[in-house]
Amino acid sequence: MASSRSKALDWTVLALRLIVGGVFAYAGYLKLREPWALFAMGIDSYHLIPFRFVEPLARTLPAGEVVIGLWLMTGFWPRMPSTLISLLLVVFFAAMVHAKIAGQQIDCGCFGPGDPISKWTLLRDGSLLAASLLVTWRAFRHSPKKS
Amino acid sequence: MKLYAALLLVLLPCLAAIPEVDKNKAVGSPTAPVRLEVFSDFTCPHCRHFHEEVLPQLMKDYVVNGKMYIVDRAFPLQGHSFTREAFSYSVAAARIGKYQQVADALYAQQANWAVNGNPWGVVAGVLSPADQKKVLELSKDAGVQAEIEAEFREGVDSGVNQTPTLILTAGGKRFPLPPAPDYRLLKSMIDGLLPK
Repeated sequence: MASSRSKALDWTVLALRLIVGGVFAYAGYLKLREPWALFAMGIDSYHLIPFRFVEPLARTLPAGEVVIGLWLMTGFWPRMPSTLISLLLVVFFAAMVHAKIAGQQIDCGCFGPGDPISKWTLLRDGSLLAASLLVTWRAFRHSPKKS
Repeated sequence: MKLYAALLLVLLPCLAAIPEVDKNKAVGSPTAPVRLEVFSDFTCPHCRHFHEEVLPQLMKDYVVNGKMYIVDRAFPLQGHSFTREAFSYSVAAARIGKYQQVADALYAQQANWAVNGNPWGVVAGVLSPADQKKVLELSKDAGVQAEIEAEFREGVDSGVNQTPTLILTAGGKRFPLPPAPDYRLLKSMIDGLLPK
């Protein structure tokens, strides 16, 4: 009984790992298709990051999302990509909540332009964060340590 | 013939994506490689900042050298008193080629007329008596009201929900920008869209 429950959890985590990794990689790909300055404006609209960091972040984050998203999907040494994604999602989610509380009418910037922060975007990113945390927890509990 | 039909099919969405322009509310060359649509409201302080601080920089960097065409779009915010009236005068003034003077005055004296409810006092101040008469008559014209409504609808359809909202168009692709972008980023974006 315990074994079948564990197996169900394994399958669930596998599905979540593919979903979280896939969504992350897709989000990065959508941003890469647009001019970097457009994403930079999106980051800047949160007013949370000093301006000198906006351009480097806008130029590197989308490619980073694609790499770690695909990495998580492969399942190879999942601790690192799942931890990175969880940390990034915590930052993104906190930034969105901050913007919502501050009454800023800005785009989330999660999947490129045209996605205003709303209850729906918070629910979507919150669910993704919860899934990512579960995948991370599982990765540390079950995957072998790096030799 | 088939090639032309196929080409037309490919280009049609690009053509459809670029809405009608009131040439009297635009500056620059219509054939410029980049077009900037500015959805704004005369009562909005950020729109005033854009009009007075950012627009002159864009004019200097891109319009005078034929790289950009800037189009003003009416986006009267709901619940803002007197803004529809101000738009009526500005669009009417555009019909007689006096849009820029009227828009400049409405932004410059925004704090006054938005409070005392007298946009006409500001508009009349920059027009000759003959032009005042024309603008007053035209402001009641159904075509003027229809233009304001059409631009507002177009903004809503384009996802505009605040002002000023900027939409860049280049190569048939439209890029709605986040609100009040930093000029350095806006410049990087425009430079990236210009043909090399």
